[in-house]
Amino acid sequence: MRMRFAAFAVAAGFMLATGSAIAHHSFAAEFDANQPINLKGTVTKIEWMNPHTYFYIDVTEPNGTVVNWGLEMGSPNGLMRAGWTRNTLHVGDVVTVEGSLAKDKSHIGNARAVILAASGKRLFAASSQTETTQQQQR
Amino acid sequence: MRPLLPGFLVVSLAGTACGGPPPPPYKPVADVKQLMQGIVDPSADVVWESVATIFTKDGVEERRPRNDQQWANVRNHAMMLMESGNLLMIPPRAKDGDQWMKMAQALIDTSEIALRAAEAKNVDGLYEVGGRIDEACENCHKKYWPNY
Repeated sequence: MRMRFAAFAVAAGFMLATGSAIAHHSFAAEFDANQPINLKGTVTKIEWMNPHTYFYIDVTEPNGTVVNWGLEMGSPNGLMRAGWTRNTLHVGDVVTVEGSLAKDKSHIGNARAVILAASGKRLFAASSQTETTQQQQR
Repeated sequence: MRPLLPGFLVVSLAGTACGGPPPPPYKPVADVKQLMQGIVDPSADVVWESVATIFTKDGVEERRPRNDQQWANVRNHAMMLMESGNLLMIPPRAKDGDQWMKMAQALIDTSEIALRAAEAKNVDGLYEVGGRIDEACENCHKKYWPNY
């Protein structure tokens, strides 16, 4: 839960450079719900850790450039409640990710759902955005 | 019309006015934001980042405290996080005497579980309570500080 606002841009850049995840922040502080993303790519790294689990995918853009995206999910507890285990996602898996773009427009997103290409299984990513929506619907 | 004093502050002042013991001569210096940046955030980071499982093409890294000194470091930061809940309860940081206190108490309670897990060198316990600490943070931020 490092400083939540200006520091995020620095932390996000650091994360992409080093592969380390930033820590706690609210969805609204870092992501724009009005900037949806839909990405298909190959998993390169998964970090099961608190307060947010991260995974990274290589996405091939229309011009052939490969971009590595960092995608945030909920905590390990939240993911397990949503049906995940540590064996759900593997390096090399092809996935489609639905979510929201980071406010700083970097290659970071908040994953709302992950679809596994091999099985077609769709998993909710326990994001704080999802939880807020679910709470409002109750 | 002048704003009314918060109820919890009235009770506190009334205790003094009725001849109770004088309040402790504490002097809050940091506001809530400074407390978060200076103590809560860094302490939570140590607790959260102490355990992780990282998968890459090269294999699996199991991040854990590896010796007594590293476990003690996690324990000490869990203690700082726990005591931060008490600091949040102290006026003028406390925003009210009801939900604020309950949410600060949730931080204390979850952090105490982390402290006990670190004392017991319990990796799974730290994993589990890490999520509960995050939930305690999220619940409070949604109500009092939604955009941070």
